[in-house]
Amino acid sequence: MIQRLSYAVRETIASFRRNVTLSVAAVITSAVSLLLVGATFLIQRAFDNLLVQWRGDVGMIVFVRPDVAPDALTFIEQNLKSQPNVIDIDKLDYLDKTASFEEAKRVFAGDPTTLSLLSIETIPSQFKVVPKTTDPELVRSLANQYRTLPGVAGVSLAEDEFDVISTLSGFVRTVTIGMSLVLLAVAVILIWNTIRTAIFARRREIEVMKLVGATDWFIRVPFILEGLVQGLVGAVVSCGGLWALNSAWTSGVAGFKPGTGVSSLVVPGSYVNGVMIVLLIIGAVAGGVGSGVASSKFLDV
Amino acid sequence: MIRLENVSKMYGSEIPAVRDASFDIAKGDFVFLVGPSGSGKSTLLRLMNRQERPERGNVWVAGRNINEMASSQVPYLRRTMGNVFQDYKLLPNKTVFENVAFALEVIGKPKHVIGHQVPQVLELVGLSGKEDRFPHQLSGGEQQRVSIARAFVNRPLILLADEPTGNLDPATGEGIMQLLDAINRTGTTVVMATHDHRVVNAMRRRVIQLDRGVIVRDQERGVYE
Repeated sequence: MIQRLSYAVRETIASFRRNVTLSVAAVITSAVSLLLVGATFLIQRAFDNLLVQWRGDVGMIVFVRPDVAPDALTFIEQNLKSQPNVIDIDKLDYLDKTASFEEAKRVFAGDPTTLSLLSIETIPSQFKVVPKTTDPELVRSLANQYRTLPGVAGVSLAEDEFDVISTLSGFVRTVTIGMSLVLLAVAVILIWNTIRTAIFARRREIEVMKLVGATDWFIRVPFILEGLVQGLVGAVVSCGGLWALNSAWTSGVAGFKPGTGVSSLVVPGSYVNGVMIVLLIIGAVAGGVGSGVASSKFLDV
Repeated sequence: MIRLENVSKMYGSEIPAVRDASFDIAKGDFVFLVGPSGSGKSTLLRLMNRQERPERGNVWVAGRNINEMASSQVPYLRRTMGNVFQDYKLLPNKTVFENVAFALEVIGKPKHVIGHQVPQVLELVGLSGKEDRFPHQLSGGEQQRVSIARAFVNRPLILLADEPTGNLDPATGEGIMQLLDAINRTGTTVVMATHDHRVVNAMRRRVIQLDRGVIVRDQERGVYE
């Protein structure tokens, strides 16, 4: 067993050396495509942070002062529920202070100064309102109405804040996912081609192996391993790129004025680590698939 | 050991390469397949190690119908046979020792077995002392000896040789024939395709003659006509 393993590893390394230019091309392509996949994840997450307050078609947020009197809070809620034509009452959601604070932690992840000013005691609670009407003016007039109610700290409208970003986010997601899929396909094809070339270069050897009774798997494994390693090395390179990208981004964002909203675009390190693991898996699978297909197709000597 | 029953093999749809061939080769036999180029000698050999499958008929090797054998079993069939070719099919980037060891390595034989069997078989074929040479540093006869060593190192039941003396001068060819004869005497069945009159006539063994894919003669202790 150990001997077979060492045989496979030796052959993989030797083949990699024989085919340096093609192997490097395959590695770089998979690295670039995986980097794009990773960047898609990060961009998406960043937009998500920005839009987390507005998730689920929320169109208006009524912020309630932290020191609100209980009757005032009940009054606001009942008032909201009395507008079934304008507001989707079933989706009306109230975030108490604790929930609001959790949300703020995400929104202000890149803005520790602002975050440190907030606490469960001082944070406003909020009503998330999903409008039923498609007429923005109706929602706007309602918002103006609520601004004057006792206990209301303020009202935000999605339209004013993040509608553009939401559209932009969808667009960016489509483009980056599309591009990374195309590049990933290119990487698989390149790995496939590298393995095909490697098989062709060793066709005499493979012929002899078949004649002396080597099993198909014994012949195939080094090639599959080679493709898998190419995908994996590409993934490692892309992880490095992603890390560098994220560090540059995080330190860039830190330079912005706090409270501008840009700060919420920071992606937490734990999430980046998760993305890297996903990239390693995708890279290995893509390499394995490319070389697996090539080796089963071209090993009929 | 080897039995063909009404075997036909076509390449394309026109002329058959082998037509309705039947014969029996007993264990320990030495058999020449003779006939001009394109008469079907090589095809018969390729049918015996399942590099080819016939359109009609059955090929039996060591009691098994190899046409019905699952593909996954073919490697194990081939471990019971050695193959020798006119062009040797040695790997140019490997030494003599490595070329022979390769045959054992790729079927998963442990290192100590390789270290034991390879020098033994190299001594048998008369190549002791040339273990570290590369094929291009050897004469044609020596290269063919390496190829025979590789075919025989796993002690196969059957040795299939396709024109093993085809590229060699008569004296060198004679040496190769002596070697194949010695291997045959160890009990290995040898089937050799050739159109070399000299070796056939010198050996006086069983001769199966082919003409355009048809067996026209099957004679014990025959000569090349």
